[in-house]
Amino acid sequence: MSLSRREFINLTASGTAVLGFGGTTPQFLTHAAMKAKSQEKILVVVQLSGGNDGLNTVVPFENDDYKKARPSLAVSKKEALKINDELGFHPVLKGFSNLYNEGQLAIVQGVGYPHPNRSHFESMDFWHTCKRKNEKRDSGWLGRCIDQLQQADPIDIAALHLGKEKQPLSLLSRTHRVPSVRSLEQFRLNVSQQESVKGIRNLIEAKREKANSLLDFVQASTETAIDVSKRFERKGKSYQPKAAYPETALGEKLKTVAQLIESGLQTNIYYVELAGFDTHSQQDGAHVSLLRQLGDAVSAFNTDISKQGHADRVLTVCFSEFGRRVAENASKGTDHGTAAPMFLVGNRVNAGLIGKQPSLKDLDEGDLRFHTDFRQIYAAILENWLGCNSKEILGGAFKPVSVLKT
Amino acid sequence: MNHLNMIDPAWAWSPYESGSGNDWSAKQCGHLARRAGFGASSNELEQFAAQSPADLVHQLVNNRSETEAQQKEYQELARSVLATGDAKNLTSRWIHRLLNTPDQLREKTTLFWHGHFATSAEKVTDPVLMLQQNELLRKNALGDFGEMLHEISRDPAMLIYLDSVTNRKNHPNENFSREIMELFCLGEGNYTEKDIRELAKCFTGWEIKQRRYRFNKYQHDYGSKTIFGKSGDFTGDDGVDIVLEQPSGPEFIVTKLIRFFLFDEPIPPASLVKPLAKQLRNNGWQIGPVIETMLTSKLFYSDKVIAQKIRSPVEFSLGLLRCLEGTTNILELTTDLNDLGQTLFFPPNVKGWDGGRAWINSSTMLARANLVRKMLDRKQTRFAGGGLVDLCDKHQLKKPEQIVNWLQKMLLAVELPADVRKTLERKIDSGKGNREQRLRNALHMICTLPEYQLA
Repeated sequence: MSLSRREFINLTASGTAVLGFGGTTPQFLTHAAMKAKSQEKILVVVQLSGGNDGLNTVVPFENDDYKKARPSLAVSKKEALKINDELGFHPVLKGFSNLYNEGQLAIVQGVGYPHPNRSHFESMDFWHTCKRKNEKRDSGWLGRCIDQLQQADPIDIAALHLGKEKQPLSLLSRTHRVPSVRSLEQFRLNVSQQESVKGIRNLIEAKREKANSLLDFVQASTETAIDVSKRFERKGKSYQPKAAYPETALGEKLKTVAQLIESGLQTNIYYVELAGFDTHSQQDGAHVSLLRQLGDAVSAFNTDISKQGHADRVLTVCFSEFGRRVAENASKGTDHGTAAPMFLVGNRVNAGLIGKQPSLKDLDEGDLRFHTDFRQIYAAILENWLGCNSKEILGGAFKPVSVLKT
Repeated sequence: MNHLNMIDPAWAWSPYESGSGNDWSAKQCGHLARRAGFGASSNELEQFAAQSPADLVHQLVNNRSETEAQQKEYQELARSVLATGDAKNLTSRWIHRLLNTPDQLREKTTLFWHGHFATSAEKVTDPVLMLQQNELLRKNALGDFGEMLHEISRDPAMLIYLDSVTNRKNHPNENFSREIMELFCLGEGNYTEKDIRELAKCFTGWEIKQRRYRFNKYQHDYGSKTIFGKSGDFTGDDGVDIVLEQPSGPEFIVTKLIRFFLFDEPIPPASLVKPLAKQLRNNGWQIGPVIETMLTSKLFYSDKVIAQKIRSPVEFSLGLLRCLEGTTNILELTTDLNDLGQTLFFPPNVKGWDGGRAWINSSTMLARANLVRKMLDRKQTRFAGGGLVDLCDKHQLKKPEQIVNWLQKMLLAVELPADVRKTLERKIDSGKGNREQRLRNALHMICTLPEYQLA
């Protein structure tokens, strides 16, 4: 591939190139493309479902309003893992704290959107599709991003969703189906004791006499599939994570992502989920456990892929559909809120705090006021990381926040 | 490459007659069975071959070959899963029916409409409504498209799926009115945004009460609407009729039918679409006769059509069972189908399943191979009530060469390369494992080959 996707998209004016279809073997199936270890950028999205309590994630421990609003849930200055004199991570977020100290973590504060909706579904749908309730939500922002990428330069699997959950709306595309993978086993060709993968591969690659473009396409796709399987077979046996992943669901998923990246799978977008952030009552136990899982898994992942040599091509983003109320409720929990911090992890992020901590005095019906629209971060990821035309995908021009090193 | 615009439409759609230099044997019959249904057993192929192509297709289109008892059984089964309240269980029931029904063309066409009027239980959630819609599609599958469009526009599952239930006088929701034009009837570019807005007003107040359509006159906009240049205080039914009158409708539907029944690529040229669109318009939107024209045509039995479709996951898995008189654990099969990218009652989006090349990527190809491996390893999987050894005995297949030839005839639209056939014969003759294992391994390999992915 002589052109990068980005160059290609720029060349073809807003990504509307139409590639020849019938008869030609798609570029992703050419052997050269298969062999070349992809240098494409990779985006890993970690969705925190349920509404993560931003104020107890990045804690304004010096703020009296915070302490007053959270008589039972407030994290004290002593406990917090310091970011600066006013802010610190929740004490279980050692993973994030380490990433921060290593210059691998960007924290965008006060992220939200105008006229916030406090329903999980409405808000998550908006984060996923960037479309309001009265608009047609038949594709997600990443789905539209995939359409753009695939139109410019089709590859085997542009995006993968890892997990048993329903596939998030953000990956919905009108033209491409994103596979959901529950485990790596799905990438392995199962054979009986008497069969061999090589034997099957030989039959598949045998020369076909008659010209049939569909047959050629399927033949090439099957060869690719078996090669993917063989690579897992090889890499799977030899794959040694270069970091200690926690034994949690998120840890497992991110380890799988690392393994997929290391095996050379050409995939631009990986999507994983961590659910349970809807902490209306007795928040402490649940939230603490979730934050620990998050921090430990993401930092292990970042260490692993960096040591595997992919530091400059992997960007991990963590978001939630909303933050939570400033004041805790009577059940020692918190109710649905609005603005919250968003986290970007990797060697190419502009590490540090981006944007101000929203005021705890000037509230909007008891909730924080956002100052950075999440679509500005999407715009940065789309434009500066994946090389897409963000205006088309987001349905409008959003000024990218400088979350990435230039 | 297919050079379809070079084809004379008069030749293309004229009837294929057996005799007069035209073959009418297992190749053509197997092709028809794969396209008009999900495949045929050896016996069924013989029955096919005994009739003329015209008579046979006429029967497939017009006869309801499911007996009343069978229909009742399917409905009973469906109802029994309704008791579970989980729409997921509907999927395996339908797979069961697709595998067993004698009325294959009707089921196949119902599947086409399910993709066309894509509605997902993911959003609708109520299995009763999903089943109701499925029955609506089955009833109208080969009948009057206009009638079906009227019914679907007040179908509760559809009303929920496309948000018509929130279409109120003061806040019209345009979702359904957009899709009826874009996806259901006319195709992109054949309407304006204003037409959509105006049509949406016609459907205001269409609601559901107790799982049935209900008209709420307080939420209906009785004002004048202008759609495609026509003005009046149109109701929803008027709106559907106005859409049905648009010239682009029949061409849009015929194009989709050709892609579903005939070939994936390229997009059918207007020269081929127009004669059938005319037939559809002139016969008052009757779908059956158009499908009959397609499946009896010279084009249908030509190499522009044979092996020019990629099997959908359902066709892929049921084809194997149907052709080899197979039965298996349907629940497990249904679960495995998820990984291939097709879960009935759960289409991926409003456009349904794209089909063609969209079925294929590394993950789905491996899933296809693994689905067959699992099916062959499963104890409940039987062929003609026994193992593959029994099946071969039943059909008096002894030599490896006979077996491979027979499997090729039963399963494939294109012949295998000679060296591939030789290798398969060798594996059956002297490969590792006992004879049953060797046959199963050969079958697994055949289903993993590119040829088997085509129909």
